[in-house]
Amino acid sequence: MTVRIDPEGHETEALFALVELEGREVLEIGCGDGRLTWRYADRVAHVTAIEPFGDSIARANLRLSEAPTERVEFRHVLFEDLAAASDADVFDVALLSWSLC
Amino acid sequence: MVHALEEIHRLLRPGGTLIEIHPALEVPFVEVRSNGELLFSEEDPGYDYEDDLRCAEEAVATAVGRGVFVSEDRRRFELRTHASSVEELREYWAVYGAYDPEEKEETLVRQQDEMYARAHDVLEHSPGAELEYVEPAMMSRLSCS
Repeated sequence: MTVRIDPEGHETEALFALVELEGREVLEIGCGDGRLTWRYADRVAHVTAIEPFGDSIARANLRLSEAPTERVEFRHVLFEDLAAASDADVFDVALLSWSLC
Repeated sequence: MVHALEEIHRLLRPGGTLIEIHPALEVPFVEVRSNGELLFSEEDPGYDYEDDLRCAEEAVATAVGRGVFVSEDRRRFELRTHASSVEELREYWAVYGAYDPEEKEETLVRQQDEMYARAHDVLEHSPGAELEYVEPAMMSRLSCS
């Protein structure tokens, strides 16, 4: 057995109850290895998922390479750097994922 | 943290939504279950990030107080991490928890080791049982004001 995180789907149940993601442009901050990203990615128009830790984003990109989709983009970047390089008003939903503390 | 929230506000379109997820201000716990039956449940004595969580909650409250976001709704949920053994779970945490730059106090580490040893004993005598790390969490929806 490998470690399984939230097989009950409690996290996505809360997420889908709180926000409509269909067709939205999403920014996920602190995506880790993409664990949560993949659970909602099929609903969104596009998700830019960012993570400052290289090992995690490498695992995320490995999985992306195994199931390529233009909906999902994993980026190894600090939020401050992404924000500094971004125009205003570009995302419909921001997901701050276990990374504010 | 408040500045980060203000930057997120700038990147969001008018009427955009911020979903913020963080551990709740509750002690996580470890369970052993077999076919749904609870065989073991103890709080994680290694929990030591309450101050960080309070900072996160204060940052959101400050952003709302400044009128950056409007708090609309929030939900509590439990994030359960399942493993077949203590070793498997702790190996996972060794990788996942590697982001935490702070070392735990020696006393907390010892108490945590003892708790996991008790969980291990229960697992050893319960073929097919699973270890679950249960992390109470909070998910909030905030909209751009």
